[in-house]
Amino acid sequence: MLSKEQKERYKWQISIFGEDRQENIGNTRLLVAGAGGLGSTAALFAAMAGFGTIRIIDPDCIEESNLNSQLLYREADVGRQRAETASKALHAMNSSINVEPVFAAIGTAPVRNLIRGFDMVIDGLDNYPARFLLADAAWQCGIPFIHGAVKGFYGQVFTITPPTSSCLRCIIPNPLPVREIPVIGVTTGVIGGVQVTEAIKLATGTGLPISDHLWLLDGIRQKSDWLRIERIPTCHVCGKDEYRIPA
Amino acid sequence: MKVHVKAFATFREVMDNQLDMEFPEGASIRTLLDGLTERYGGLGELIFAGPDTLRDFVNILKNGRNVYFLAGLDTPLDDGDVIALFPPAAGG
Repeated sequence: MLSKEQKERYKWQISIFGEDRQENIGNTRLLVAGAGGLGSTAALFAAMAGFGTIRIIDPDCIEESNLNSQLLYREADVGRQRAETASKALHAMNSSINVEPVFAAIGTAPVRNLIRGFDMVIDGLDNYPARFLLADAAWQCGIPFIHGAVKGFYGQVFTITPPTSSCLRCIIPNPLPVREIPVIGVTTGVIGGVQVTEAIKLATGTGLPISDHLWLLDGIRQKSDWLRIERIPTCHVCGKDEYRIPA
Repeated sequence: MKVHVKAFATFREVMDNQLDMEFPEGASIRTLLDGLTERYGGLGELIFAGPDTLRDFVNILKNGRNVYFLAGLDTPLDDGDVIALFPPAAGG
């Protein structure tokens, strides 16, 4: 049951989908991987929407060059850990939710331990080797993985919903080498917002997730596009049993 | 046969967002890329690291399936195919 305070706080979104579904959001445990441009945007919107538990994982400290796109940090935060600083900012935004900061890189501990008990994962990572580690583990654990990525004014979102959708490797079979990628806050703002829209849709059973198309933002031409994605039967993550590599 | 080609993200900076192309029977993804690089100056340098080697960020999908899982550049084209050229974003 929502408390009186929660009914007041969320009344404008309860008017969209009702109290029961707001309660579903509150009961959802959301893992946000990365506390950069995408992760900080997504975590902020998720906290505002009332996701009951948000675990935010990041291995870095705040740099001055983060301030163009990372909504949760201020000039005085430069040098502080991003996960911990994000956690405080989220708690200041919504003190009724649980926020768990984890100061670690994906891959330094068993990934399954990081995601165990969570209902969905938001991808705010900045490299494909880490994305694949997390996305593969999420698939194998049956946890939805909401992929997002940006480059300059371009961005993309894809919601992986095991066991029915394609996985990340069906779209991008080989991880791209780790490179520095140009990022601007207006693009991470849109993509992070779309990722949380997907999380809210999944938590509330509203609409259909973006799971058979890749959604692409072209901020230069102010267009969005759909790219159809088919599941690959020989994929070693989501393909037929005989092709899968055991977890 | 007629094939519909779609380009996404940074590929749009050197070619049209989408176009139709005609090919004879037996054409492949390689034939299609040859046609595109002939038509759009700068595209060849953008997508090829060397003869027959695509740059690591170039993903090509035939009707929603990455040609990596089909026959790569030798993947045959069929009438009505939709071919997408897609450079994934990677940043966060």
